[in-house]
Amino acid sequence: MRATNVLLLLVLLTSSAFAVDVKMEPVKPTPVTANTQLGKKLYDRYCSQCHGNEGKGDGPAAEFVYPRPRDFTMAIFKVRTTLSGQLPTDHDLFHLISEGLPGTSMPAWKKFLTVNERWQLVHHVKTFDSLGLFKEEPVKEQVVIDTAPKMTDALIAKGAGLYQQKKCGQCHGSQGRGDGASAAGMKDEWGELIRPVNFTKSWRFRGGDRIEDIYRTFTTGFNGTPMPSFVDAIPAADDRWALAAFVKSLARPQKNAQVLKASFVKGEIPVDPYAKEWEGAEFVDFPLAGQIIQEPRWFKPMHDVITARALYNDREIAFLLEWDDGIQGADSVTVQLPTTDTGNVKPYFLLGNKGHPVDLWQWSAKEGGSRMTATGAATPRELGNLIGEGGYKDGQYRVLLRRSLKGGENEVSFEPGKFTPIAFHLRDGDNGEEGMKMSLSTWYAVLPEPTMPLTVWLWPFGIGFLALGGEFWLLRRMRRKCRK
Amino acid sequence: MMRRWTFYIALVVCLGFFVGLKFGIHPPIPASVLMIYMVLATLGILLFVAANEERFAAFLEPLKSVFEGRAPKVVQVLVLVAIPLLAGWGTWLRTSPTWDAPFEPRVVHPEPPSTFNLHGFPTETAKLKNPLRGVDPAQLEKLTNEGKTIYYQNCFFCHGDALAGDGHFANAFSPIPANFRDVGTISMLQESFVFWRVATGGPGLPKGATPWISAMPVWQNLLTEEEIWKVILYIYEGSGSTPRTWDEEVSHAGH
Ligand code: HEC
Ligand code: HEC
Ligand code: HEC
Repeated sequence: MRATNVLLLLVLLTSSAFAVDVKMEPVKPTPVTANTQLGKKLYDRYCSQCHGNEGKGDGPAAEFVYPRPRDFTMAIFKVRTTLSGQLPTDHDLFHLISEGLPGTSMPAWKKFLTVNERWQLVHHVKTFDSLGLFKEEPVKEQVVIDTAPKMTDALIAKGAGLYQQKKCGQCHGSQGRGDGASAAGMKDEWGELIRPVNFTKSWRFRGGDRIEDIYRTFTTGFNGTPMPSFVDAIPAADDRWALAAFVKSLARPQKNAQVLKASFVKGEIPVDPYAKEWEGAEFVDFPLAGQIIQEPRWFKPMHDVITARALYNDREIAFLLEWDDGIQGADSVTVQLPTTDTGNVKPYFLLGNKGHPVDLWQWSAKEGGSRMTATGAATPRELGNLIGEGGYKDGQYRVLLRRSLKGGENEVSFEPGKFTPIAFHLRDGDNGEEGMKMSLSTWYAVLPEPTMPLTVWLWPFGIGFLALGGEFWLLRRMRRKCRK
Repeated sequence: MMRRWTFYIALVVCLGFFVGLKFGIHPPIPASVLMIYMVLATLGILLFVAANEERFAAFLEPLKSVFEGRAPKVVQVLVLVAIPLLAGWGTWLRTSPTWDAPFEPRVVHPEPPSTFNLHGFPTETAKLKNPLRGVDPAQLEKLTNEGKTIYYQNCFFCHGDALAGDGHFANAFSPIPANFRDVGTISMLQESFVFWRVATGGPGLPKGATPWISAMPVWQNLLTEEEIWKVILYIYEGSGSTPRTWDEEVSHAGH
């Protein structure tokens, strides 16, 4: 009797010592009742191609997307407002069906389906639960997400401390690029390979990238993944907000543009990709897609963006290419340019075509710089005066490709003020990408930005002075008239 | 009375136009078009003001008072300095070099060629007809469903889950993949045209449609003729539209 009492006391004591600061509230009622027929019809029409007719995540498209569409039969859900290991609320399901899961193929259905239709789908998704969990132990309480505190530098700094202390970097990497020591080889409950999220890519936060979303994600955890709930490790809500603020401070949206502008530098272009001239150079994020245009098609590429900068001086032009990669592998990157001035007719965007060859500048972690020409298929060529150098640090590749401004035989000349078409290919070594198995972009343009000639000031100043002259003429005339 | 304020009212109306045109229209209109509208608006205001002699005099009054030296000294200096500055700035906006990508006009629905090569055989575009239509409804539903599978294993990455041209790869391609829900795409096209587009893809386009930048694959290299017709059945059914037919043309013409 005594012993059990002591034990009980101990349990009570320890649990209060770790009392976690999570405010809970009762689950809100579901506003729409199920219409089984409509739910099934909508599901078959909009969801079955991925999630499968029986909700097993095995629809005809399932093999062609990464991550795999969810198998609903185990009733394990990621984006929730309920405690770790619990089922989601109906509102959670409604929210995630409406907003989709950014960074995956699961779209935001609010664009296409009415509120009522989405509620019917919530009910229908729950019918696949083979263990009957939704019936037997529905959740009664959900986490309250308070209003977020202001993102101050102090809060972010506190979060940065906690990030280190709580070893988030073990998986997510010291700079949040998903390159922690344990990043490789993780699997989820469904046996699929899974990688820690790269916090710098704000468009890939599955649960949303608002600070409230991030707070919710690691308060509740993602069930079925190695991403645990951190309420026990970080019991104070204030601390969790600080951490959310820090994670949010790492994220940035893509900065897309049609033109990559190369600025002029006096003297040498720095060969160190971490030099301050490069940090200061304007960058553009070019979105990439899997090469699904010709066989062998590549549906599940690793990389979705490449960041490029360019500088030139009176002799050379240099491109700095950056991409994040949680697992180093042996990646390679290609810059595609036409071999000659193209005028209005460019080569086909994918490796050129007959009569319109392209010049491919390549750098690979294995072989360094190399070069090819392609008219549909690529053949090696001499490097010429092309220099390719690169490396990997803190979850990021940086590669520098440079060449003389003036082109020789079968290569374009870069000139200030002239647009040259440019496209990018990226291959992730760790994901088995090689040859046509790659991510790619369509054509963009690179422009060595001319230094402003003084003549551009001629017209504005001329017109300004003319206006001034006219003014005084009018002034004198009218005042003379007045005096008379 | 109000008349005293003519000049200022004209100024405010003019600015109002500018703000409305610049910020009130989505998507934003190009600067050159804005310029034309602003010139028209300004001319209109000036014409209105000048139409009545008294109004015109009232309009000119504030300007006159500056030039004749009746306005307060500060106002005189400000106006006299502002006018050349504005003129110079306006010229700068017009003449300063800008580095926007060269504009490439593109014909979205070009005239199809009268014949094209399908699996190596010349095929007349106008004679193409979907052989799968005209079967009984149950059979049609089955074929459409097969088309759906083909769509989700080949097309949805670009053309989207709900056929709205917004698949998870869509943003990497320029021009962007066609939105089949839009009335400006397949619902205004005949099935023969759509077949030609699907079979020959981006590279099959004529020059004016900039074939070298379209990421639309050449599907005859990847699908059989029947598979292409099936997927066409599905993109119409899935987007809730119907192909354009000549019968319809005739009946439209009749009304
Ligand atoms: C193009 C494929 C695709 C389609 C179509 C699709 N989904 Fe998904 N869905 C996914 C993927 C992929 C995931 C899993 C992402 C992950 O695990 O991170 C997912 C996950 C989910 C989840 C679980 C989310 C979580 O937090 O765990 C739900 C619920 C869901 N989908 C519902 C639907 C509904 C309802 C529809 C139809 C309106 C639908 N999906 C259509 C691909 C799709
Ligand atoms: C054991 C490895 C591991 C640790 C430690 C870890 N995470 Fe994660 N985390 C993951 C994985 C894996 C995912 C991706 C889950 C997925 O893809 O569904 C993830 C996802 C996330 C997301 C998801 C964002 C989204 O909406 O997609 C956030 C936020 C996050 N982690 C924050 C943290 C923070 C903060 C810490 C430290 C307190 C932390 N993680 C520690 C493995 C980990
Ligand atoms: C790699 C991305 C991609 C894939 C995959 C793809 N398309 Fe396209 N498609 C495009 C792009 C980009 C356009 C718009 C440019 C153009 O007209 O060529 C387009 C245009 C079209 C058009 C022309 C519509 C119009 O209004 O002229 C049709 C029809 C079409 N696609 C059908 C399909 C079908 C059917 C499939 C699958 C078998 C498919 N597409 C797969 C990228 C793709």
